[in-house]
Amino acid sequence: MKYANSFFSKKGLFERYGENPGTMLVHTGLLGWILSSLAQITAIVANDKIPSEQKKFLIPQEAADGLVNIFSFYVITSSFKLLGSKLVSTGKLASKNIKAFLNKSGVQNKVGKLDFNISRMENFNEIKSDYKSFKNGVDVIASTVGSIVSCNIFTPIVRNECAARIQKRLIDRQNKPQSDSNYYPYKISMDNYQKTAYSKYSSPGLKI
Amino acid sequence: MPLSIKTYITNTSLYKSAAKKLNSVKQKGLDLIPNAEFSNEKFLNCVDYIGKNFSSDKQRLVLGATALVTQPVIDYYNKNVDEKTRKVSVARTVAKILAGTATGFLIRYGCIKSIKAFSKIPGEGVPKYKTILTPKGVTDNTTDAFEQYRNALGTIISLGIMLFTNFLVDAPLTKFLTNVFIDKQEEKNEVRK
Repeated sequence: MKYANSFFSKKGLFERYGENPGTMLVHTGLLGWILSSLAQITAIVANDKIPSEQKKFLIPQEAADGLVNIFSFYVITSSFKLLGSKLVSTGKLASKNIKAFLNKSGVQNKVGKLDFNISRMENFNEIKSDYKSFKNGVDVIASTVGSIVSCNIFTPIVRNECAARIQKRLIDRQNKPQSDSNYYPYKISMDNYQKTAYSKYSSPGLKI
Repeated sequence: MPLSIKTYITNTSLYKSAAKKLNSVKQKGLDLIPNAEFSNEKFLNCVDYIGKNFSSDKQRLVLGATALVTQPVIDYYNKNVDEKTRKVSVARTVAKILAGTATGFLIRYGCIKSIKAFSKIPGEGVPKYKTILTPKGVTDNTTDAFEQYRNALGTIISLGIMLFTNFLVDAPLTKFLTNVFIDKQEEKNEVRK
C-alpha cells in the first residue's frame, strides 16, 4: 500500500516520468488496457439481463481476452521502447553532436557494445542536454511505433482468431444432443433466446 | 549479514551462465542493426519536438489514424467468418475507432490542459487551489520534466474519467455510427441491384 501511494503520488510521478516520457506512454497505455478490460468485466457483472449461467462463461472469457491484450501490449510496446533506448545509449543511433562527442572521447570501439552506456561516461555532462533530447524523442517514437504494431496489427489478428474459435465452440455446444446439460434447446422462448444471444463473443479492443 | 534471495540467485553459477548466454544473444541481435548517425537539422529538431511535446493525447490520435488504415483491412480479410459478418465487423470496427479516438483524444487533451491550471508554483498572489497538483519542492514549472509530469498526471486522471465515458459516450456513439455505416452499405447494395 505504501509503495502504491508513493507510486501514484505527485512526487513519485514527477520523479518517475519527468525525464522518461517514453516510459510514461508505455505505463499509461498499459493502465488504459487494464482499466478497459476491468470496465468490460464490470459491464458484464452489472448487467442484469445476462443470466448468471452465461456470466460464468463470459467473465473468464473477458478476463482471458483482457490478459492477452494487456500482455501483448506490454511485451511489444516495451520491447520497442527498450530497443530504441538501447540503440541510443550504446551509441548505435546518434545525432551528429553525440557522434562527435563519442569520437572526441575515443570510445568508437565501444559503440554498439551491450555493456556500454553513454550516460555512464565520466564526461557525460558535456553532452547531457543533447543526449537527453535525442533519447527522449527516440523513446517516444519507439513506444508509439510499438503501440501501433501491438494495438493495430498484432492484437486484432489474434483477437479475430480467438473470436472465431470461441464462436465455433459455442456453435458446437449448441449442436450437441439434448442429454448434455449445457444444451440450448432448438425451440426456445423469445426471452431465453435473447438471454442466449449475450453469450455471442464480442471482443472489446482498446476502448479508452 | 545474511544474503538476500536476489543476491543468492544472481550468484549461482546457473544464473551466471544463463545471463552470459542471454547477453551473447542480445549482443548478436544488436550487431545486426547498423550504426546510424543523423545530421539533418530538420530531422533532429523533429525528434526533439516529439520528445518534448508528444504526449498520450497525440499518441491516441496517431493510434486512431493508423487503426483506421489497418484494422478494417484485417477484419475485411478475416476468412474465419462469412462475407456479411465481415462487412458488419468492418462497420463496427470503424465506428469503434472513430468514437474511441474522438473521446480518448478530447478527454486526454482536456485533462492535460486542466492540470496546468492547478500546478502553479506557490507564491504571492497564487491561490492555494492553483498549486494543489504541484509536487513539493518544485520551484520551476517551465522545465521539460515538469511538462512530462503534467502529461502523466493528466493522462492518469483522464483514464479514470474514461471509465465512465466508455459506457456513457463511447458505447452509444459506436452503436449509432455502426448503424449509420451498415445503412449506407445496404443503400449501396440496393443501388447496385
